[in-house]
Amino acid sequence: MRMPSRRALGWWGAAALVLLLGYVDLARGGVTLAPVLLVLGYVVLVPAAVLRG
Amino acid sequence: MRPSYRAAALVALAVFALYAATLAPSSALWDASEYITAAYVLGIPHPPGNPLFVLVGNVVTHLPLPGTSVAVRVNLLAALCSAVAAGVWFLVTERVLTGWLAARWQRLAGATAAALLGATAFTVWNQSVVNEKVYTVSLAIFAVVAWLTVQWCDDPEGRVADRRLLLIAYLLGLGYANHPAGLLPLPAVGIAVLLRRPQTLLRARLLLAGAGLFALGLTPFATQPIRAAYHPAINEGDPTGCVDGIGWACTFSATTWQRLKANIDREQYGKPALSERQAPFTAQLGMWWLYFRWQWLRDAYGEHDTLQRVLGVLFLALGVLGGWVHWRRDRRSFVFLAPLVATLTVALAFYLNFRYGYSQAPHLGDTVPREVRDRDYFYLWSFSTWSVWAALGLVACWHAAAEGLAARIGWARAGRGGTDPGGDGTMTRADGREGSVAVGGGPPRPAAAARQDVAAARGAAHSAPPSAAALPGRRAWLLASPVLLLALVPLAGNWTQAPRIGETVARDFARDLLNSVEPYGILVTAGDNDTFPLWYAQEVEGIRRDVTVAVTSLLNTDWYARGLIRRPVYEYDAANGPAVYRGRAWPKPTEPVLDMSIAEADAVPPYVVLPGPQLFVQDSLRAVVDPRRLPYGVLERADVLVLRMIRDNAGERPIYFARTMGGYPHALGLERYTLSQGLARKLLPREPDTGRDTLYLPGDGYFDVARTRALWRDAFRGPEAIARRGEWVDRASVGIPLSYVDTGLTLASALAQTGRDSLVPSILARVERVAGATRTLELLRGAQPLQPEVRSDVPRGREVPVRPPDDGGAAGRDGGDSGRVP
Repeated sequence: MRMPSRRALGWWGAAALVLLLGYVDLARGGVTLAPVLLVLGYVVLVPAAVLRG
Repeated sequence: MRPSYRAAALVALAVFALYAATLAPSSALWDASEYITAAYVLGIPHPPGNPLFVLVGNVVTHLPLPGTSVAVRVNLLAALCSAVAAGVWFLVTERVLTGWLAARWQRLAGATAAALLGATAFTVWNQSVVNEKVYTVSLAIFAVVAWLTVQWCDDPEGRVADRRLLLIAYLLGLGYANHPAGLLPLPAVGIAVLLRRPQTLLRARLLLAGAGLFALGLTPFATQPIRAAYHPAINEGDPTGCVDGIGWACTFSATTWQRLKANIDREQYGKPALSERQAPFTAQLGMWWLYFRWQWLRDAYGEHDTLQRVLGVLFLALGVLGGWVHWRRDRRSFVFLAPLVATLTVALAFYLNFRYGYSQAPHLGDTVPREVRDRDYFYLWSFSTWSVWAALGLVACWHAAAEGLAARIGWARAGRGGTDPGGDGTMTRADGREGSVAVGGGPPRPAAAARQDVAAARGAAHSAPPSAAALPGRRAWLLASPVLLLALVPLAGNWTQAPRIGETVARDFARDLLNSVEPYGILVTAGDNDTFPLWYAQEVEGIRRDVTVAVTSLLNTDWYARGLIRRPVYEYDAANGPAVYRGRAWPKPTEPVLDMSIAEADAVPPYVVLPGPQLFVQDSLRAVVDPRRLPYGVLERADVLVLRMIRDNAGERPIYFARTMGGYPHALGLERYTLSQGLARKLLPREPDTGRDTLYLPGDGYFDVARTRALWRDAFRGPEAIARRGEWVDRASVGIPLSYVDTGLTLASALAQTGRDSLVPSILARVERVAGATRTLELLRGAQPLQPEVRSDVPRGREVPVRPPDDGGAAGRDGGDSGRVP
């Protein structure tokens, strides 16, 4: 297994950031942006990051 | 060869169009209302809480899709997920056929058959046109995992092989965050890896990365304690230690962890160990077989039993044949798909460990323990996956028919040395038998040798089509193609019973039941069908939020009372309420329905042992609570809380029992104080005086003729919704139409008794429309006893002893000697 490329790390960074923001908003009582960010992170960005390897 | 992604997308689109055209315009009975509501309020549905579904569902509820309601948007999510799965089964089937059929159009036809069979199997279709469960989301994840695994099996050492495995690990975790069934593909994936490239399992870094991604997939569960701390309207299990708002200390506390773990582990359900079989395993397999038969022709009224059995055997045989040809022709994908099918049939039946199915073996009646409803939806993945093998079996039949035609008519090209004059990549031989034309030309050879050649060719370039397979000619295939019409059988067989077009019964019933309650009333319900639609009506559609619904099956848990205490008092919307409540003032209560602190609510024991009949006194109301009339011989936590609500709300709020609760007021000794109004029974502070509009009806208690007539005539919408829907398919929920039949008949009887015969015919006509459209009596034939009572799928929070323990109940609380209920 190779180390992730810089491009892949970019995807991982975006996924981590979006998930973090989603959880922060959720913890602050957000019910509009938080689920959008979390779905974007879990369903789109993390799989994309994994596939970009 | 590149998979036909575009064709798969088109097939998925067609399936989605079918689902959209047959979609429910609203919510439905059972869990649909709970899940739609939970998604809408970003809440926590019943354990394990399904956080992935809630997140995705919540986003979907806010999508700006013109002309759609919240319920329709969530229903479209179910449709989309199943359509995606159909597209993936198309790809998987096409992939298997690649080593078998040379012509692309043939592979596409076979793959389309798989998608069609899987998409129109009864349970798949019926669950894809309303979001009753989270299983369609699971199905989509399942299918994607299957496709990734099949691709990995083709090229386990390729450039992207590791990434595929890692994505599978992540999706398994994420699938578990949707529903525990998300793990079901794991054994098949493991077996496939073990058989295709076992050394993969020795790669520590890969395994570590896979475990990490699996764990990441589970993290949506972290949303639960965060949301629970905000006490959303649906907050089942209340998985937080926070009482007054979110905070670090209470969120990261032992209480939060303990409650979250209890939710994830579904402790509330108290499922027995697998070693404790709830029914003989043969009966559990029989349940799968019963529901399998439903897939190809749903026959709710038992009118086509023989045909249904024949079709069941046919599609079972096609699947077995498909599994056989799969084994023969493509071992690489077989090593995954076969364990998956085994997991989703035999192993799943063993794991689920169900009691007898609701509709299973009706001749056994109540002599065997039964599930409260039919559980076909638990096998949705099984029937959907089966479609791949059934389609392969169908293609094998097509192949055989084409060969037969080729042999009979002589459309063959033996001895042409592997050329393809038709230009479509198909070849054949004069006698039409398999394997008689050598790959790459040359003299005819025995079938076994040809098979070896094909296998060798498959091993060398697996995804390439056979360049000159021993196949019949194009015209023979075309002439034999009507065989594929069998794939249309479930579409035709389920056409009347799987769709949910125009189905608004759940919402209309909820509205009618809520409108049977006076403003600011408390409505005590049993669970599921007399409760979840009410949640949906109140929280999503804003109907009668002033009514507090108190469901007894959840009052037995340790968390539900907290929600009742925290529930705000909502303003009564007189403009949208029934006309019968207009013209008078309804003072808005200021206190919660339970006048107790959270700590006091938590301290209510699971049950209270009564040494004998006890007297419950509230003003003029004097009810004798006799333990012999209580189901478990003890006063359960729910009963204690209901009595407490009666005491705390005297003069403040009217209290009602849903008529679907059957004899519950009787069990608490309250029967002489209840007055039926519409679909509910109002608790009165004293026994009513009988008169022209208040009758005592033996077996039904006091009946408010004027109020019920007003509600029946001016407010109720359910009877029309039921009549419009017709074809009541689900036996276990027939209590809903029966509650209208029961109410209408009682009203008609009461009017006749009081000399108002002229009003009776219109009521009876409406009753007949309900009973006739739903064929209620036919549906009940050979099933459970005729009663409008709703049976809850929600288990009691804790098991209580059948008989009171001799020591007065260390786990409970003794009723004392005062003769009063505590």
